[in-house]
Amino acid sequence: MLRAKNLLVRRGTRTVLADIDIELRAGEVLGVLGPNGAGKSTLLGALCGELPASAGEVSLDTRPLADWPGQARAKRLAVLPQSSSLNFAFSVNEVVGMGRLPHASGRVRDAEIVAEALSAADASHLAGRSYLALSGGERQRVHLARVLAQLWPGAVGQTLLLDEPTSMLDPLHQHTILQAVRDFAGRGAAVLVILHDLNLAARYCDHLLLLQDGRPHGYGSPDEVLTAEALEAVYGLQVLIQQHPERGHPLIIAR
Amino acid sequence: MTAMFRPRPTLMVLGLLLLLVFWLSLALGPVSLPLSDTLLAGLRLLGVPVDGSGTQQAELILGQIRMPRSLLGIAVGSVLALSGVAMQGLFRNPLADPGLVGVSGGAALGAALAIVGGSLLGGVPPAVEPYLLSVCAFAGGLVVTAVVYRFGRIDGQTNVATMLLAGVAMTAMAGAGVGLFTYLADDATLRTLTFWNLGSLNGASYQRLWPLLIVAVGVALWLPRRAPALNAMLLGESEARHLGFDIERIKLELVICTALGVGAAVAAAGLIGFIGLVVPHLMRLLVGPDHRVLLPASLLAGASLLLLADLVARLLLAPAELPIGIVTALIGAPFFLYLLVRGRS
Amino acid sequence: MRMTTLLACAGVLLSQLATAADALPQRWVSAGGAFSEWVVALGGESKLVGVDSTSQYPRSLHSLPGIGYQRALAAEGILALRPDILVGSNEMGAPPVLEQLKAGGVRIELLSAKPDVQALEHNLTQLGQLLGNQAQAQTLLDGYRQRLQSQAAWVKQAQQHHQAPRVLMLLSHSGGNLQVAGKDTLAAWMINQAGGQSLGDHNGYKPVSVEAMLALDPEVIIFAGGRLEGDAARAALLQQNPILAQTRAGRDGRVVVIDPTLLVGGLGPRVPDALSMLSTAFYPSAQAQTAEIKR
Repeated sequence: MLRAKNLLVRRGTRTVLADIDIELRAGEVLGVLGPNGAGKSTLLGALCGELPASAGEVSLDTRPLADWPGQARAKRLAVLPQSSSLNFAFSVNEVVGMGRLPHASGRVRDAEIVAEALSAADASHLAGRSYLALSGGERQRVHLARVLAQLWPGAVGQTLLLDEPTSMLDPLHQHTILQAVRDFAGRGAAVLVILHDLNLAARYCDHLLLLQDGRPHGYGSPDEVLTAEALEAVYGLQVLIQQHPERGHPLIIAR
Repeated sequence: MTAMFRPRPTLMVLGLLLLLVFWLSLALGPVSLPLSDTLLAGLRLLGVPVDGSGTQQAELILGQIRMPRSLLGIAVGSVLALSGVAMQGLFRNPLADPGLVGVSGGAALGAALAIVGGSLLGGVPPAVEPYLLSVCAFAGGLVVTAVVYRFGRIDGQTNVATMLLAGVAMTAMAGAGVGLFTYLADDATLRTLTFWNLGSLNGASYQRLWPLLIVAVGVALWLPRRAPALNAMLLGESEARHLGFDIERIKLELVICTALGVGAAVAAAGLIGFIGLVVPHLMRLLVGPDHRVLLPASLLAGASLLLLADLVARLLLAPAELPIGIVTALIGAPFFLYLLVRGRS
Repeated sequence: MRMTTLLACAGVLLSQLATAADALPQRWVSAGGAFSEWVVALGGESKLVGVDSTSQYPRSLHSLPGIGYQRALAAEGILALRPDILVGSNEMGAPPVLEQLKAGGVRIELLSAKPDVQALEHNLTQLGQLLGNQAQAQTLLDGYRQRLQSQAAWVKQAQQHHQAPRVLMLLSHSGGNLQVAGKDTLAAWMINQAGGQSLGDHNGYKPVSVEAMLALDPEVIIFAGGRLEGDAARAALLQQNPILAQTRAGRDGRVVVIDPTLLVGGLGPRVPDALSMLSTAFYPSAQAQTAEIKR
């Protein structure tokens, strides 16, 4: 369980993130929304210890994040960056297998987990291919499989941070991947996911954090956060909010 | 499969190849020894009490000339190849060369200081002289690498891109220093400097061998322990950190291994190019980028390639000999071009 | 059967004894241009089995196996020639290689590459002994001394009537940058002996800009270039460096071409001839006196 208290991040003299007070709860998916430059990736960087907090603190299981030894932390917290610059001809299996580096679960068990994680990311058919031969969307799914494998099968006490995991995916895979993330949370893990698509966020997230200029504009359930006023204030976009006819979550339609 | 061959059999073939080349390196030379003499001398050197009459010449050539030379070749070749792997991993670039962190440039500067400075000062004490060049080259490599590493440290983190640029700048500065010494040098020392810059395993002796052997064994034992971290580093630094690796420490270790390894290799044998660049590249094609296989494969192939190059160097123009740097560049550069062309098609 | 083996053994022993008594080295490797020339002059050319890269004269040496540059010798390569002796200067190396050669039973004879008569005396005496030809070595040495003395006397006389010319010695390889001979070089020694005043003020051979050469304004230029000889070399020098034609030497056409192999490895047998050639060029109007003194 990851918790951020009064988090403040400065770059030079500029405050890029402030007043962040959030908690990633077991079994729940928290979506982070906001226009470009609102501080979404900064938040993710601060939550995983990549960016030092100027004030406030981030704790994992009540212990400050910085106090965790690397390996123990890696068994509880996995992070998927927005893009990867891997430029070496590993096989897909090897890339996903790197998620098992913090563990000592043995070659056989690791191979099983790699296969299951690939299957969860709908990438089983890529297993033997060279990573460099994959398309952008395929690579994104492989990396998702890698971070899933790092925490597999997912349990209470584990946290997964995802930075725009669907940015390069086709519409079908946007849904299958987020459903896989949902299922993963269903086994007990806490998930934070940065998204751009408001409807995807409304559909797959339990809670949403809407950021504007580095500050939370709204934090709560999709119904509470995704209001026409809030979206106009944050994005400058005029929208209609409807209800999904089958599932009941909000549907956002640009006017 | 991304690798052309399966790892384990490939490693075995590479090991056998090294044994074969090692044998050739002991058995061949400008002096042609009958096979029986070579074998008898070899047995006697191993302490087997066989009849030694008539093999003194063979014993000398085998024990005092070819053996230290071949061992030097193995140590230099393997350490250069391993450092190449470490640097390509550190910079996450398959075209990185061990010289990028400034160690070669610094070593060249140290050597120039020793060769030219020594003669400008009117000679150095005879007790120091045999070691001066090696010590200066080694120290030069370490000092310049330390400066480059220091420039790469920003807010307690090592920025490899900054380090790369600092390495380029420091290498240029070291080059200017070498140029200055070249200008100050008289004819004879100038020649010595030129030859040193081309590298050679000539004149290898056990005294000069053991410091490098210690470093080489250290590097060869240490780097494979970092193979998983190197694999993770290829994903990206933050990815490696999220996988639980202390990457600041790993980066420091990689730089230290390279500085010690290349520094010691250059100190013992002069500048030998292309091994550190080409061997890891070729091995990646053969066994894939997984460092658990890549490191041992590069060690074996680096040693084999350098021994082969040395065989060419000492046989081609016998009784004279070609600087080995010329041979490695002659083998390495066309091969590299071939890789470029192949990659394009 | 037994008898024959015994006899054979005795024969081997005898021949070994014979070589021990007659311990002169029979297979020679020379690492130094001037040393090789002296070995040839002392009738030892047939004993040479290898020479270094500076041994370019006489041209018959080119057919011998080359052992490379004297400071980067290869131990096993030289051992493969099965030499008894290696002669060279104290610049010869690297030291571990010399150790290995000694261990291989090769006698290392260090000679001096200094351009002075004492060094030459030592070198010639050594070489004469080792070649079993002391008498000829003495004759050569006496003749050499005599020629240097008459050379010095001639220069002295010439200088009573003429000022010593200002001389610039240029070295160039294959059209590369010109290098000027400095004060500690054999070239400077030769200019001095031939009665000239060497203008190179530095040590060794250093590149000097043509502008600086113009400022030095030499009266005579000595040029040692690559393969070209005589007029061809002179023409090439002035063509590639037209500014030199503006110096006094260039205007007066006083450019002397010498063989660069003269300048390597101390005083060689050809130096006296080169000196008299140079002094003739330095004091053209004193030519008549030359003939007088030489007689």
